[in-house]
Amino acid sequence: MERLIFDAAALVAIVFAGLMVAGRDPIKSVLALAVSFFALAVTYVLLLAPFIAALQIIVYAGAILVLFLFLIMLLNVGPERPDGVRRPVQTFLGSLSVVVFAGLLLGMLRASGARLPGQPEAVAADALPDPKALGRLLFSDYLLHFEAVSVLLLAALVGAFVLARRENAQ
Amino acid sequence: MIGPIPLSHVLLASGALFAIGVAGALLRRNAIQIFLSIELMMNAANLALIGYGAALGTQQGQIIVFFVIAIAAAEASVGLAIFVAIFRHTETIDVNKINLLKW
Repeated sequence: MERLIFDAAALVAIVFAGLMVAGRDPIKSVLALAVSFFALAVTYVLLLAPFIAALQIIVYAGAILVLFLFLIMLLNVGPERPDGVRRPVQTFLGSLSVVVFAGLLLGMLRASGARLPGQPEAVAADALPDPKALGRLLFSDYLLHFEAVSVLLLAALVGAFVLARRENAQ
Repeated sequence: MIGPIPLSHVLLASGALFAIGVAGALLRRNAIQIFLSIELMMNAANLALIGYGAALGTQQGQIIVFFVIAIAAAEASVGLAIFVAIFRHTETIDVNKINLLKW
């Protein structure tokens, strides 16, 4: 049952990611990616990561994608139109590298057999890592990293402000 | 195995999402869609990290994903600010038309 739900959610995520890449309208792309992220959140729950699933919905779908939508509407970006400027070399090389890359990924997966070194036993559902344990780990072993990320976010805040500022605004 | 879910399914889904993201980043011309493809690739990596973390029975995978999400948020804000700055100069975000470093 869980396996079925996981496969269905992963399929939805992949299909909507494909729609996101295939569409020409950026707004439809963002909405398709939001659906894909929600489906990914479902897979995170099934992979015993409920806290990350909540973060996925709140931060990715809720904040980052809304920021994208806001920017698209602010800049009034229309659909990409076929303007006659075709770049066959670019398209060919891009497609070729995607095919080669996908083949390499598949080959690696097959070669490793998706096996893990040691540790074949299943994780019981009652060993589900709760957010409390995650938070304890985050604020003990990973405290330095956590603080570094907070400084990074501050730097990004200042950087975004400086970049988007009007130069001649006094 | 993570409960009843085989790890190979997780890795296959992650690989497929990453390949779609690569295709989008290479083939689209709209800067916003390229950026969305990059976000998709990050999510594919997150899925693989969580899958391995669950299969190995540790929390490390989730910790890494936590940091990846925080960095993705920082990256999105700076990247979108760059788009706004570029759009002010050139009135477009088609990457084929943005070919000058200085105006």
